Amino acid sequence: MLDRLESLEGMMHNMDKKKLLNKLDYYRIYIIFAIVFILMSLFAPNFLNVFNIVNILKGMSLNAMVAVGFTVVMICGQLDLSIGSNLTLGAMVVIALQPILGWWPSLAVAMIAGSFVGAVNGFLVAKAKIHSFIVTLGTMTIVQGLIFLLSKGSALSVNDFTLADWLEMPKFGFLPPRVIITVSIVLMFFVLIKFTKFGKGFYLVGGNKETAWLAGLNTDLYLILAFILSGLTAALGGALLAMSISSAVPTLGTSSQMVVIAAVIIGGTSMAGGTGDIFRSMIAVIMLVTLFNGLMCCGAGYEVQIFASGLVLAAVVLGESYALYQQDKVKGQRPNLMAELKKGALQ
Amino acid sequence: MFKKSLALIMMGALSISLLSGCGGGGKTAAAAPAETKETAAAPAEEAKSAGGDASDNLTKSLAVDVSTLKSSDNQPLLLATETKEIPERPEDPKALPEEDPLHWYDLEYSGWSAEKVNIPKSPADGAAGKKVTLIVHGDHPYVTAYINGAQKVADAYGMELNVMSPNFNVDVQNQLVDQAINAKPDMIIEIPTDAKVAVQQFRKINQAGIPLIGANTLPEDEGMKYVIGWAGPDDWGQMRMLAKTFAEKMNYEGGYTIAQHAPGGSPYFSRTYGIVTELKKIAPKMKLLDAQAPGFEAEKTMQLTSDWITKFGPELKGIMAADDSAQQIGINEACKNANREDIIRIAAGNSKVGMDSVKAGTVTAITYQSAEADGAVVTKMAADWFNGVEVEPVRYLPKHIITKDDVDQYNNPPQW
Amino acid sequence: METSMQANKEKIDVRKREVGKISSIINKLGVYVLVIALMILGTIISPKFLTASNFMNIIQAVSLLGMVAAGVSFITYSGNFVDMSIPCIMAFSGMIAVDTLRYGIVVSIVCGLLTGSAIGLINGIVVGKLKANPIIWTLSVAFVGNGFMRWFYSGKQIYPDVKGGAAADVFINLSRTDVFGRIPLIVIVMITFMVLGQFVMTKTKFGKQVKLIGSSYEVAKMTGINVNKVVCGAFILSALATSIAGIFLTSLAKTGAFYNGEGYDFNAVTAIVIGGMTLNGGRGDVVGVLGGVLVIGLLSNVMTLIGINTFSQSIVKGIIFIAVVGINARSLRKLGRDDA
Repeated sequence: MLDRLESLEGMMHNMDKKKLLNKLDYYRIYIIFAIVFILMSLFAPNFLNVFNIVNILKGMSLNAMVAVGFTVVMICGQLDLSIGSNLTLGAMVVIALQPILGWWPSLAVAMIAGSFVGAVNGFLVAKAKIHSFIVTLGTMTIVQGLIFLLSKGSALSVNDFTLADWLEMPKFGFLPPRVIITVSIVLMFFVLIKFTKFGKGFYLVGGNKETAWLAGLNTDLYLILAFILSGLTAALGGALLAMSISSAVPTLGTSSQMVVIAAVIIGGTSMAGGTGDIFRSMIAVIMLVTLFNGLMCCGAGYEVQIFASGLVLAAVVLGESYALYQQDKVKGQRPNLMAELKKGALQ
Repeated sequence: MFKKSLALIMMGALSISLLSGCGGGGKTAAAAPAETKETAAAPAEEAKSAGGDASDNLTKSLAVDVSTLKSSDNQPLLLATETKEIPERPEDPKALPEEDPLHWYDLEYSGWSAEKVNIPKSPADGAAGKKVTLIVHGDHPYVTAYINGAQKVADAYGMELNVMSPNFNVDVQNQLVDQAINAKPDMIIEIPTDAKVAVQQFRKINQAGIPLIGANTLPEDEGMKYVIGWAGPDDWGQMRMLAKTFAEKMNYEGGYTIAQHAPGGSPYFSRTYGIVTELKKIAPKMKLLDAQAPGFEAEKTMQLTSDWITKFGPELKGIMAADDSAQQIGINEACKNANREDIIRIAAGNSKVGMDSVKAGTVTAITYQSAEADGAVVTKMAADWFNGVEVEPVRYLPKHIITKDDVDQYNNPPQW
Repeated sequence: METSMQANKEKIDVRKREVGKISSIINKLGVYVLVIALMILGTIISPKFLTASNFMNIIQAVSLLGMVAAGVSFITYSGNFVDMSIPCIMAFSGMIAVDTLRYGIVVSIVCGLLTGSAIGLINGIVVGKLKANPIIWTLSVAFVGNGFMRWFYSGKQIYPDVKGGAAADVFINLSRTDVFGRIPLIVIVMITFMVLGQFVMTKTKFGKQVKLIGSSYEVAKMTGINVNKVVCGAFILSALATSIAGIFLTSLAKTGAFYNGEGYDFNAVTAIVIGGMTLNGGRGDVVGVLGGVLVIGLLSNVMTLIGINTFSQSIVKGIIFIAVVGINARSLRKLGRDDA
């Protein structure tokens, strides 16, 4: 009997450890990022200097922006596979319309186009009740087909580099405007989603749809808004990239999609919905870019880079599901009660 | 049962890694002496150690003889490069119909007339010991062979070659460009992922004051301002040659279809319209029935070809493929299944699979585009520039069409 | 299947009868409505459509996809969506098979299959036991596997006739053999997989367990099913079918390369879902999946016969995909079987 109780005390101890683990889990992306950054600073040549850090920040701009909307969709417990096509759409639209409308109106059109695709996604998911994986897989094909059809498979470019130079050249100290715009938009949506009453609704919808509905939230509207946001930020990210290189290719976003999904997961957003935040997604994107950049500084090829980012993703998924697995094991057991019993038994 | 099967599979996996691991080891062991032999042909190490004195370094570098180098298919690595006749640019090429060769003027004839901007002066102190960064466009067996070729020439001159690959992603390639600038090499060689995106990337490198050479994929004229030179295959010219062979074999008449390159790059256009425009000119009786991009998948191309055979029937007399491996195999299988071995087939590229088909007679002609020579010619251009030798703005690889008559010459062994 | 339909009968009765009728017809025939519609359309468009050779072409072109889909449908059926490491498994098993060809054709194929099943086993353990999200986990496996392959073969492709002397011809001819006169071996294998898959899914204990897990994970667990083993089994089964398709693909392309099999992940899930399986699991069967595979083949065939270009084809495919699933989900809801 005493043996058993002692083992229970050990479990109590485990509960404290679990709390610690939870905390660790929340901050894990910062820890991973710190480890990657320190390792690269120590071992990668040409890594730790202002110019390269700015490179990393420029490198994360596209995917961090795309990750904003994607994170919100994931918080709602859905998936958006069309982000890749959407960001290509934004990029192609902004470059195609620039000679006619000028930069800012065409940027607006690009954002509207992205939001429209997002709205279609959201409507089909929320109202027609089709699984988001299927809807967005479908719109991914459709939008990509449209882009190819309208561009005839050709890249587009504008031979005016004033805006591109302005976006890329360091302005305030060392940060280029493209990075500043990206980070401020990310922070804006981070605050909006995490700290306002409206934004917290997304967590509620993702965590438990029934409860959210009972609490008086228009769950369908939230879902549609999440997809619109995803389309919007994807198109905006693509458009910003296109503006900073004054050109766009019809295959721009094909490989971004999987990287963004990986980053958002590593950043601590769960596929099941209800958790996660945009800021950590951005840190995760920066972490992946740092990993790529550092390995490239070491002279490693692309194969090592996908291998390494795959390992990070695998480790995170494994760690997360192992923690859940352990939690599952002690589910239904009541250590507090047992502890009280033990106290009584000892007296 | 479960644990047993687990153990079984694990054991199997282990034994596989053992089996294929042995093979891999043997492979590298066999390859190593061959490589040392090749590098021994050039006084690379000597040149490096003598890097102190500039004029000495130059004479050493100039003395390097790369003409004896061979690519892995036992062809000379550096062939005489070609030039090309440039017609007058029409007022608005895009206004012309797509069948008109001049519609594609900006894609085909980029580079010769561009005014150069802010090009650094050659140091003329020898190629030995120089650091060159090669940014490729992505991972592909062709690119692997390409890098091999570049490495051979770099070794011969004692240059240090650093390769970066973005896996065909524009966003990542942009980052690599910045990163390459940051590392401040003596020269950057870049294969752009796209002719248009190249402009801003080249501009950035140029503004950073780093000498730049473009490679493989021809950038837009606007981008050619910023490069010392460009070297690579003349894809349009190759396609025109291929079209001539195609027309001859087809007796200048009959319907044909094209399995296109994947969209999102210049070969998508050159390998469709290079053929279409040339055939329009030399064989007006030949008719383009359909052109589709099934991707580089044997299965999909097989289905597409079967559909074509069903749809066009005896009208279909010839098929052109943008890829001589997976696509061509799909086409061959479909022709065989439909008993239409009479269909004349041509393809771009010279992979092993393509050459085997030429040998077997299922494919009439393919282009000879040596991947290693492609990499070598651009590295040679870099070395020439370091050595103070005059560099022309464009260096084309020689063009050649492989048919059954001379396929053996190029297939011993193939490069990739 | 039968019991669940009977259980739902009462629900049908309270609803409008006509709606129920149409919905249940759609639900029963499922994807074959679309198959028949496409066949009628094809017949109208081209007189050459309704020929034996054209049909053989269509089936042959989708047979590799069919093999993959037959296997992966078990993963979908168990409620684990899809295996994103399909391309990786196909390429890897193909490359290993080519690499070990010098020890003979049997060793080569066995090694290829073992490689695939090893990846499937890893996926199965992690997803089954630790309950990791299948999409994310298999995605990371695909990253790691792809990087490994590129590194191991240093970015090169390998050829069966270079690697393996006498066995090479047998290997290359695997996907070029016709049996029973004019029927290609890959079609036979695909049909066999479909029949076997249907049998295993509906008639065996394993299949019923997979169904229960897909329908309700908790209930399955409470019933005493060893969930870990069954999910693991589904992943291994799927990986096995995928690696067989991978070996056939490698044999067809005469090339082992890291990029073989790209796109099969999404194509397989498209076929499965068009075929009437829901991503939540526990619904549909392999006969439906066969229909989904046929739809993909017929659609390409008919559109090429009409003369629609590649880009518009992908738009049409996307629209049909969403529409089919939407109608399916709607009819399920009308029948009171909404589980979305």
